[in-house]
Parts: sequence; C-alpha cells; structure tokens
Amino acid sequence: MSEIRYKLHPISAFLNFIKGLKELIFPFIIIFGVNLFRGGGETVAERGVQDLIPVFIGAAVLVFMLVSGLIKWRRFVYWFEEDELRIEYGLFVKKKRYIPFERIQSLNYTEGIFHRPFGLVKVKVETAGTGKIGQAEVELTAISREDADRIEKKMEHAKHHSREPMLEAEEAIEEEVRGLPSKTVKTVYRMSLKELIILATTSGGIGVVISAVAVFLSQFADLIPYDAIYQEVVLFLRFGYLIVALLIFLILLVAWIISIVLAIFANYQFTITTDEDHIFISRGLLEKKKVSVPFKRIQGIQISQNPLREWFGYATVTVESAGGTFGDKDEKIRLFPLAKKTTILPILKELFPDMEWEPVMRRAPKRSLHFFYRLDFFWMFPVAGLISYFFYPYGLFSLIIFPIVILFAVWQHRTVGYALADRQLTMEFRTVSKHAFFMMKKRIQAIEVTQSYFQRRKDLASIQATIKSGMLGATARIEHMEKEDASKVLAWYEPSDNKTADLQK
Amino acid sequence: MNQQPKNQISKKGLTVWRVYGMIETAIIVLIAGGAAAITYFFDGPWWLYAIYAAIPLGFAYLLIYLFPKIRWKRWRYEVREQEIELQHGLFIVKRTLVPMVRVQHVDTEQGPILRKYDLAEISISTAATTHTIPALVTAEADELRNRISVLARVAEDDV
Repeated sequence: MSEIRYKLHPISAFLNFIKGLKELIFPFIIIFGVNLFRGGGETVAERGVQDLIPVFIGAAVLVFMLVSGLIKWRRFVYWFEEDELRIEYGLFVKKKRYIPFERIQSLNYTEGIFHRPFGLVKVKVETAGTGKIGQAEVELTAISREDADRIEKKMEHAKHHSREPMLEAEEAIEEEVRGLPSKTVKTVYRMSLKELIILATTSGGIGVVISAVAVFLSQFADLIPYDAIYQEVVLFLRFGYLIVALLIFLILLVAWIISIVLAIFANYQFTITTDEDHIFISRGLLEKKKVSVPFKRIQGIQISQNPLREWFGYATVTVESAGGTFGDKDEKIRLFPLAKKTTILPILKELFPDMEWEPVMRRAPKRSLHFFYRLDFFWMFPVAGLISYFFYPYGLFSLIIFPIVILFAVWQHRTVGYALADRQLTMEFRTVSKHAFFMMKKRIQAIEVTQSYFQRRKDLASIQATIKSGMLGATARIEHMEKEDASKVLAWYEPSDNKTADLQK
Repeated sequence: MNQQPKNQISKKGLTVWRVYGMIETAIIVLIAGGAAAITYFFDGPWWLYAIYAAIPLGFAYLLIYLFPKIRWKRWRYEVREQEIELQHGLFIVKRTLVPMVRVQHVDTEQGPILRKYDLAEISISTAATTHTIPALVTAEADELRNRISVLARVAEDDV
C-alpha cells in the first residue's frame, strides 16, 4: 500500500453541511415558520419552555449536520491502485468503491461559488452505470485543479496502457510516435452574446418559474390570513378587472425576466471544445460546469426547432449518449442550446465527418395526408358541436379548429421523411416542433415497422427506430410512409441481407 | 424481405390465451352480476338486464374466440444467425428487427398458467428495448435462449 492517499479540500466539509441543509430547508421552514407564527404576539417568556422544544431539536439537527459534514470529509479518501480509482468513505458504515479506469466514461467538473475563491472543482466520475439511480457515480465534492488534472492524467495513462496490446502493431507504433500528451484541444464554438440573449428570451423556462412561485406560495398558504385579505380583495376588485389583469401581467413579466436571468447565468460563455476522443461543453456564470462526452458513447444527434425558432432559422442540438448520469436534469446533453442552423451545420460536419448532415429526404406519399388529421375528427366534431350548440352565436367560433388542425396536419405531412445513407439513417418529423434524428446504423438498437388495418389498405406503414440514450432509449418515429419505404429501411437494417449484398459485389 | 418470419408460436399458446380470455370474461360477468343485483335492488327497468347479459356475451366472443385467434395467426418469429425478426399485433401489425449484435441478454419466464401447459415466454433485451415472444414450448424456449445467447456473444461493444 505504497500509494498516496488523497483527501478532499477541507471546504468540502462545509459543502456537505450546506448540501444537508438544502435538503432540510423546506421541512424546517414549515415546522418552525408555522410554530413561530402560531404563538401570535406572545413572547418566549410567556410561552414557557416546552414551546422551545422545536427550537432545541432544530439546533441539535444543525449541530449534527455540521459534525457529520466534518466527519464525512475526514473519512473520505481516494487513491490510485492497479489502474483503479479507489475510494473509501462513509459516516457510520465504511464503504469502499473501486472503479477501474477502463470503466470511467467521463469526468464532469462543476465550479460553484464556494469553489471559485480556492481554485477548486467538484468532480463527478461517470461510469456506464447499472447501479442504483443517482448512486451510479462518484462525486468528489471539492478538490484542487491540479488534483483533478492528476486523475485525468492517470486515467488517460491507464487507458492507453491497457489498450496497447489490443492494437495492431502498426497502430501501436503510431501511438508511440504521437505520444500521450499530444492531445490537442480545439475550440470549435463559442456562443455569442446575441445568441445567448435570444436563447434566454425564447426559452420555455417561464413555466418552471411560475410553478416555482406557485409552489413557494403554497408552502406559505397556512400563514396567510385569508379573511383579512378577502376583505381587501373585494375592495380591490371594485377597482375593476384592469388592475387585476395588469397585476397578472406584471407577475408574468417578472417571472419572465427571472427566467431570462437564470438562462443567462446557466449558459454564460457556452463553449464547445474537442480533443481526439471527447467533446467538452463548458458553461455557466456563477456555477461553471464542464461536461465531457466521449465520441465513442454518442449514439445519435437530434436537431430540434420549434416553429418560432424555425422561422428565424435557429435550432437546438442535443446529443444522445449512452450511460451517464441518470435522474439529472441535464440528462440529454445540449450540444448547441441555440444557434443559427447555418452556424451549426459546418461545426457538426467538423465534429462528425462521417455523418451526412443535409441528406435528401424521402417524404411521405400524397395519399397518406388525410391519415394525419382524420383521427382528430373524433374529438373535433363533438367538441365543436357542443360548444356551438350551448353558446350559440359565439360558440360558432369554435369551428375554427377544423382549418387549424387540418393545416397543422398538412404541415406535419410535409415534414415527415427519412433518408438512408450507407451507414446512417436520418428521420425527420414534427409534433409541434420539428425534429431531425441522425443515427448511425451500428447505433440503432431495433427497428419496428407498424401497420394498422387502414394503413394496410392504403399500402402505408409507420417506421420507428430506437437508439440508446442515457439509461433508456430514445425513439424516432415517422408515420404513414410508403410501405415500400418501410421495407427498404428494414432491408437496409437487416445484417444478413447486407452480407448477401456484399457477397454479390 | 417481404415474406413473413417463418416460425409460429406453439398451438398451445392459443389455448392459454383462451384461458386468459375466460378469466377476463369471468371478471366482466362478476361486474355485470353486481350491476344486475343493484338494478334488482332499485327496481330498474327490464331492458337493463338484457344489456347486462349481452355485454359479457359480446366480450366472451371477442376475448375467448376472436382476438386469440387473430393474434395467434399473426404472431410469427424467426431467429437467424444475425438477426431476430418478430411480427405481431391485433389491429396494428408490428414488425421488429433486432440485430443479434445488439442483444444484451435473454430471459425465459413461466407463470403458473404457462407452466401448466408446459410453455414459457422468452424476452430479448437490447440496451434500450425489450422484446417478448409470448408462448413457446419450454424445451424450445430453453433451446432458443441458449442459441440466442451463443449467437449474441459475438457482439462488439459499441453499446
């Protein structure tokens, strides 16, 4: 055991404490807030000692958290041995975890506000992970930059070392010549301020903020003296709806501005860099995040455009990658949160030279058009009928849903399509937003062709391809295509069919 | 390419589906019986009884006779050296193609009813999807499971 054992930076004791506190904050507020307010105007002396019990308990919990944070830090050690990252930790039960470097998918860095002044990073070690959800990976709460670099170096070293025997002789020599540290890191994209602002203002984060406000308010519902407010409200309503509407608008506006600020904080200085086998994405103002994605793990690329962004030529690109963190919000890695399609395409070409980014799509046949809207009649007729009947003159306006739905269907019909290349399948379809899936053949897990009774009569079929994404699958589905096309896709995908084709050549 | 996969599932599978259909029908009969009791209790009109009788009969026809028959006729599978092809579906016919190199593991499973008829179902899992062949003779299922696991072993690891 000659290996040096490393500790985390002492600040992680504090971070553990903060983290524990965060989890307890809502129960705390509810218990204490309600209790304190319940007493009304009385002072502590009047209420006596037993009313202070919750305060004592709270203080005890706080002390316990502080101490446990300290012990957790004291107990946590990691070291390198036999090409493994070994970790020992645990508050009451001592746990050991050994991770072979081979199995490590990526190291993700986060720099929080507390990390910055000390030049520290939080490192998440990601494995392909079949463990429990949220437990799959190891987290080093706070280590210095140099330590993080050392882990990375060790990992790289181990990987190259063990891979060498498997390589063919020539390649091994080439590897030697190039040497290990020659990995060139290249910046391929940096988000401009304009793009950042457009992203922030058009992102759908508003809903999140509103619901957060609603949740926040509901937490305090017990404390609000409704009776008193009710009187006020009645008075208030006499001022007319205008003020109410104005107030709602103001709240929405504030929510929107908050969401803009949050989006700017999250995506500030969004940068993509690459070396030979990883893509690195770093972003963030207060909390800097760096995510690395090995090229090997990338299963497919998705380009999405909602109608508004499509109109202005903007798009979002997400990477479907296998394994990785699960239960995290960032499960799908956004390669481009938002950028002009014209800027995206050349960069994608550079990153993935094997793939075709603007293939010629084969669209759905004309006769499949009515398949896209005729099921909608089942709900449109009764809904429009009832509304028109019960709210007679104005209800007739509900008939407007017919042209809208049909136009929408036409649009979906126009968008749906696929393209087959030698080793790549591209599918394009629209829900409201337009999505394009780019998949390598060797990454597709299964292809399904479905045909309903009505489709069979018209010789149509739907095609569905599944790739692995995160711990689960991501599915691209194009509806109501020509039956011939479905057969073509199946034949293209069938391994033994290709064999025979190759033999014939 | 356009011909159907070769193998059909065991004829006994049809029987098992009929048994399932009977169980489902029995539940519906119970519900209808309960409804009839309530109607009797509250002096409901006579035609309600007719409906209570008609519904289970209709379901019995569909669940015990028609649906199992169509499903059984439609269910086909074929395990070739390099891929597994499945076809099934009642109203919507679904055809699935799974390359052998994508298969991660194979399971066989047997519930009490299936065991009584000496059948087993076999599930084929890839990294992202699971596909089930519902009723095979146990020996055949075991044989198939072993065959798939041998064939799948050549898989390379690009996930």
